[in-house]
Amino acid sequence: MGIPAAFRWLSSKYPKIISPVIEEKPLVLEDGTVVPVDTTQPNPNGEEFDNLYLDMNGIVHPCSHPEDRPAPKDEEEMMIEIFKYTDRVVNMVRPRKLLMIAVDGVAPRAKMNQQRSRRFRAAQEAKEKELEKQQFLKILQREKGSTVQVEAIETVVKKAFDSNSITPGTPFMDILAASLRYWCAYKLNTDPAWAQMKVIISDATVPGEGEHKIMNFIRSQRNSPEHDPNTRHVIYGLDADLIMLGLATHEPHFRVLREDVFFQESKARMCKLCGQKGHDERNCRGEAKEKSGEHDEKDHAQPLKPFIWLHVSVLREYLAVELHVPDLPFRWDLERAIDDWVFMCFFVGNDFLPHLPALEIRENGIDTLTAIWKDNLPVMGGYVTKDGHMDLERAQYILSGLAKQEDAIFRRRREVEERREASFKRRKLQQQKNGNGRGGAQDSPLSSKGRKGAPEANGPPPGMNLFSVTSIPKPPGAITHDMVMKGRSSVDQANLANKSAASVLKSQIQSMMAAQKNKEKTDGEDPKKDGEAATDGDAAATKTPPSALGKRKAELMEDDATSTGASSDAETPAGSGDEGPVDTVRLWEEGYADRYYEQKFKVDAKDIEFRHKVARAYVEGLAWVLMYYFQGCPSWEWFYPYHYAPFAADFVDLGKMTITFEKGRISRPFEQLMSVLPAASRHAIPEVFHDLMTHEDSPILDFYPEEFEIDLNGKKMAWQGVALLPFIEMPRLLAAMKTKEHLLSPEDQARNEPGKDVLLISDAHPGLYDDITAHFYSKKQGVPKFKLNPKRSGGLAGTVEKIEGYVPHGSLVYPLQRNIMPDVDYDRSLSVTYHMPTSSHTHKSMLLRGVKLPPPALNHSDIDTVRHKSRNSGRSYGGAPLRNNGN
Amino acid sequence: MAFSPASRFPIHPPPQYAGSGVAVKRPREFACFSYDKDHVFHLDDSSLKWYYPPTLPADLSKGSDTFVKHDDSIDEHLDSLLATIQSYEQQKGEPIDAQVVTWRGMLTKIMAAPYDSDAFEMNATLYRGSIFIEENHAFKRQKQEMESNQPRRTGMPSSLMSFWGYKFETLSTLPRPWGETSREYIENRDREVVNNKEQYCSVVRTGFGNSIVCIGGEVDAIWDSKPENPGEPINWVELKTSAEICGPRDQVNFDRKLMKYWIQSFLLGVPKIIVGFRTQDGVLTRTEEFQTMNIPKEVQHRKLVNWDGNVCIKFTSLFLDWLRANITGEGVWRIRRAHRSNSIELFRVEEA
Ligand SMILES: [Mg+2]
Repeated sequence: MGIPAAFRWLSSKYPKIISPVIEEKPLVLEDGTVVPVDTTQPNPNGEEFDNLYLDMNGIVHPCSHPEDRPAPKDEEEMMIEIFKYTDRVVNMVRPRKLLMIAVDGVAPRAKMNQQRSRRFRAAQEAKEKELEKQQFLKILQREKGSTVQVEAIETVVKKAFDSNSITPGTPFMDILAASLRYWCAYKLNTDPAWAQMKVIISDATVPGEGEHKIMNFIRSQRNSPEHDPNTRHVIYGLDADLIMLGLATHEPHFRVLREDVFFQESKARMCKLCGQKGHDERNCRGEAKEKSGEHDEKDHAQPLKPFIWLHVSVLREYLAVELHVPDLPFRWDLERAIDDWVFMCFFVGNDFLPHLPALEIRENGIDTLTAIWKDNLPVMGGYVTKDGHMDLERAQYILSGLAKQEDAIFRRRREVEERREASFKRRKLQQQKNGNGRGGAQDSPLSSKGRKGAPEANGPPPGMNLFSVTSIPKPPGAITHDMVMKGRSSVDQANLANKSAASVLKSQIQSMMAAQKNKEKTDGEDPKKDGEAATDGDAAATKTPPSALGKRKAELMEDDATSTGASSDAETPAGSGDEGPVDTVRLWEEGYADRYYEQKFKVDAKDIEFRHKVARAYVEGLAWVLMYYFQGCPSWEWFYPYHYAPFAADFVDLGKMTITFEKGRISRPFEQLMSVLPAASRHAIPEVFHDLMTHEDSPILDFYPEEFEIDLNGKKMAWQGVALLPFIEMPRLLAAMKTKEHLLSPEDQARNEPGKDVLLISDAHPGLYDDITAHFYSKKQGVPKFKLNPKRSGGLAGTVEKIEGYVPHGSLVYPLQRNIMPDVDYDRSLSVTYHMPTSSHTHKSMLLRGVKLPPPALNHSDIDTVRHKSRNSGRSYGGAPLRNNGN
Repeated sequence: MAFSPASRFPIHPPPQYAGSGVAVKRPREFACFSYDKDHVFHLDDSSLKWYYPPTLPADLSKGSDTFVKHDDSIDEHLDSLLATIQSYEQQKGEPIDAQVVTWRGMLTKIMAAPYDSDAFEMNATLYRGSIFIEENHAFKRQKQEMESNQPRRTGMPSSLMSFWGYKFETLSTLPRPWGETSREYIENRDREVVNNKEQYCSVVRTGFGNSIVCIGGEVDAIWDSKPENPGEPINWVELKTSAEICGPRDQVNFDRKLMKYWIQSFLLGVPKIIVGFRTQDGVLTRTEEFQTMNIPKEVQHRKLVNWDGNVCIKFTSLFLDWLRANITGEGVWRIRRAHRSNSIELFRVEEA
C-alpha cells in the first residue's frame, strides 16, 4: 500500500512481530568447491513452511539495477542474478508444498495512475543522470588531457538499465517469463527439495498486481474444503503492506519475508559510476578497475544482507489486545476488528488514493483513527467493514471523528515543525550536541522512552539490533531538494579538502546545473510557480536514493531522513531554509480549506458541493481499495480522478451514498504501457505506437508531457510531492491506438495477449503427476482440462489444462544466448496451464474450522504494555465518542 | 406364537477376549441416502452437512420450544437401508456380498456387551443367505417408558437434554461447505430451527473376522468433502455433547462414555469425534476434538476405567460367527439379552 514508513511504525510499535531469519549458507571448501545447502533437511528456523509466494517484482527490481553492486551487464546476467536471489529465498523458506512466483501483470486503472507518476519521474531522473554522466566524462577527459582513460571509462560507465522495462508487455518481461519457466523446470530436475513441490508461475501476461494475484490464490484455496487451515504461508516482497495483506487472508500461520533493509554493512559503498568499491561516485576518478588486488570485489565479497520475518500471527496477538473493546452490544470478533484496522490503515496511505491531509503515519495517524474507532464502536452498532464491504454510515462516524480533530492536527503539526526548525537553527549556531529538544506532542509509541517524546525518538525493539538509528543508512551523497534550492551554498560549504580534482569538478557541475535551473524558475509566488520550483527540486535531486527508481527503499529512507533529526544539511527539510518554497495553503491557519481548494483544485472557495463531490469520489476509492484487498479487483477501470485528497470535514452524509462497481475491461499490455510510460521509455513499446507519444500531430500527445510540475503539497522532500500529470483518458487512448494496431508484428501481437498461470511439477510428485499424465498423455486421455483432486495434489485445488503442443519428458532448453546454464535432455518436469478455482461467493474474513493458533508470542508484560498504551494513544487531539457531542 | 428352544452365546469377562486380534476391515461407504426436513427418503447425499465450529458460548436450550422432532414411535424397520441396498444392487447388477445387514445401533449394542449390562432385543431374518437384523421396536418402546419413569439425577428433563445434542449439531454444521455458505447463515445458526427428521445416512461394507457386514447409520457431518473415488476413507465428523469434566469422577464417567463414542464411530469409519462440553444447565462452553483411532489408548493411559476396543471387536466377531451358524432357517429370529445377563439368547419367534 506504500505507506511510507509503515514498516518502521509497525515494527517499533509492535516489536515482537519481527525476528531474524536463520539462514544456512553453502559451504565453500578450501579448493573452492561449493557445497550447497541440503534443503531437504529440517528448516533451521525451527518450523517447516508449506507455501512460499514471491512477489517477484521485489526481486526483479533490485537484481536488475542493484544499489550496492555494479549493474548486470546485460539481460542474461540479470536473469542469473534473479535466479541466484530467488534460489536463496527459496532455500531460506524451504517450502514443502508450493512455490508461487507472481510477476506484476497489467494493473487496475486505479494503480496505473501511480505507476504513471513513478515512471515519468523515473524517466526524468534517468535523463538527468545520463546527462550528468556525460558531462562528467567530458570534464574528466578534458582535465586529464589525454585519451588514455576514455576507453576504460566507456566500458565501465554503462547506459543505465531503464527500469521502466519492468512493465507488462515489454520484451524484457518476455525474457523474464521464459527464464523463470526454465529455471523452475531446471530446479525441479535437479534439486531434491523440489521433488514434492508444486510451482505456479504467474508471469506478467496474467493480469493483476503480483501480490494481489497471490491473495486471489490464497482466497481461492481457502474456499476449497480441502484447504488445510494450518497451512504455513510465507510471502516474500518489499512492500510493507504485505503484512496487511497477510492479515487480510485470515490465515494465522502467515509470515512476510524480506531483506533487513536497515542492516548496513560497514564496508565502503559502491561507486555507482564506475562500479568499483572503496569510494563513492563523488570521489570517482574514473579509473579502470584493477584486475586483481584489494579492490577486486571477489576478494571483498560483501556479506549477504540478512533477512527478517514479520509474523502476522504476532501482529494478530497485538491487535487482539490493542483493538479490544469490552462490553459491546454485539459480539466481539477479532477477525472483523482486524479488517477494520486494515481499512483504517488505507486512510493513512495506499497506492490508489492520496492520503488524507490530516493523517500521517509518522504522526501516528493510525492510532488517531483507532482511538476514534474504539470510542465509537459501541454506538456504531457493528464493524465498519464486512468481508471487504464498507458500511458507509459507520465510516461516517470515523470520518466525523477525524474531522473534529482536523484543525488541531494541522496546528500541532506546524508547532512541531517550527520547534524542529528552531532547534535545528540553534544547533547549527551553537554547534552543540544533537539535542532532541523537539518535544513533539504526538503520542509516542514507546511511552517508556518518554511520554512526550517524539515518535522519531523510538529506539530499536528490545533485543534487536536491526533498527538502531545509527545503523540506518544515510542517503549516500544525497543532494536534496533543499541543497538545490539553496544553490551553491551547500556545495561551497562542503568539505572540499578531501576530494579529488574530479570530484570537485563534479560537485561544481552539479551545483551549476542546479543553480541555473533555480534561476529560471524562482520568480513569482503564485502556487503554480511553487509547483514548478518543486519540479526542479525533484529533477536535480537525481542522486538521492529516494528516487522513483527505488521508491520502496525511498520510503524507508524518507523515514530515516526525517527521523534522525535533520542532522545535516542534506537532511534539512525543504522549506526550513530561507529560500524554501512557500506553502501558500498554510493548513495551520484559518481558511486553509478555502485556500486548498482554490489552489489545488482551482475551484471557488464557495463551491462546497465540489468538496463533497471530491469526498464522495474518495469514499468510492476507499470502497474500491477495501474490495481489492479482501475480495479481488472490483473494477479494472475505476480510478480516483484527482491529484489531492479532501479533508475529513468534507465527508458528509455518506450513509446516503450507494457504491457499485462495474468489473470493466482489463487493459491490454500495450494499453497499460501507453498509459504509464513516458515518451523517453518508448523503446519498451512497439515502434508503431511511438508517433503517438512524440509526433506533434498525435491526438494524444498531451498525455506525454516532457515537463510536468511536482507540487510539494506541504511535504519536505521533492519526491514526496505530487506529480501533476494529466490523467489518461482511456477512450481517447484506445481510439488513437486502434489506428495503429493493424501495423503490429505477429510477435508483438502475441505479447499483447493475456496469458495464463502455469503449474510445474516434477515427475517425482506422487499422485499429481500420474493424474495429469493419465488425463492428458495416456492412451485413454479425456478432455484437455480437468479439476485437480486435492487429496492427490497435496491440497492444491483448481483446474489444469493441457498446453497445446507440449509433451512431457522432452528436453529443457536454456532460453538465453550465452548458455550460462545447461540444457536438460530428459526433462523430468511437467508443465500445464493452471486455473484457480473460482467462486461466486464472497470470501469471508473468518478463521477456518480446525485452525490451531500458534502458541502466544506475547507474555503478560507485553500485553499489559500494549493495553496500557492503547488507553491513551491516538487521543492527543480529542477523540471522545461522538455520542457525547451529538453527531 | 411358537418359540423354538433358545441357543445361548455366553458373555465372558473381558479378559477372555483379549490376546490375539481379529482381522477387521476398514468400513467403506458404498451407498448413502438422506431424509429431508420432513423425513422423506431420498437416494442421495442432499442432507449431508459440513462441520464448522459453533460460536461460543451458546445456550443449548434456546429453541427447544420449536424443536421439529422426529416421531420415533413408528417402527421404520430396515426400510430405507433395504431400499438403498436394492438400488445399489440394481445398478451393479448383482447382490451385495454381506452376510449380516443391520443398522449401526444394533452392532453397537453387541460390541458394547462385554462391558455393558444393558438389555436389548433384536429381530433377525435370513434372506438370500444374509442375516438382516433390526431392533425389536416394541421392546425398545417399553424400555424407554420405564426409563422415563425413573427419577433423574440432574434436574433437567431428559427431553431437553436430548434436544441439547441436536442443538449442538445445528450450531456446528452447515448445509454447504464453508466457502459456499454465507456469513449470515454461519452467524445465525443459533436461530435455526432444530430438526432431527433430517439425516444423512452412510451405508458401509465392513468385516469382523469371517463375517462381511453391511451397516447403515447416520453421520453428523463431514470435515472437508467426499472423496472422488468411492470407497476411499471419508473424513466424517461425529458430534457429541457432554457435561464439562470438573473432577476425577466426571472423567471416569466420560471415559465410560468414550467407549460408546468409539464403537459408534468405529463401525462407520468416522475418524473424528467433536465433543461439545456444556455446563450443567446446558451452556456450550468449549469443544474438543478426539481422533477415534486414539481413544482406546488414551482411556487406557488414564487407567480410570477399563475397556479394550479389541475385546469389543473379538467378541463381536465371535458372536457373528455364532449367529451365522445358528440362524439356519427362514422365519424371524429373536436376539435377546436380559439386563445384566451373561449371555445372549437366540430363538425363532416366527416360522416362515
Ligand atoms: Mg507489486
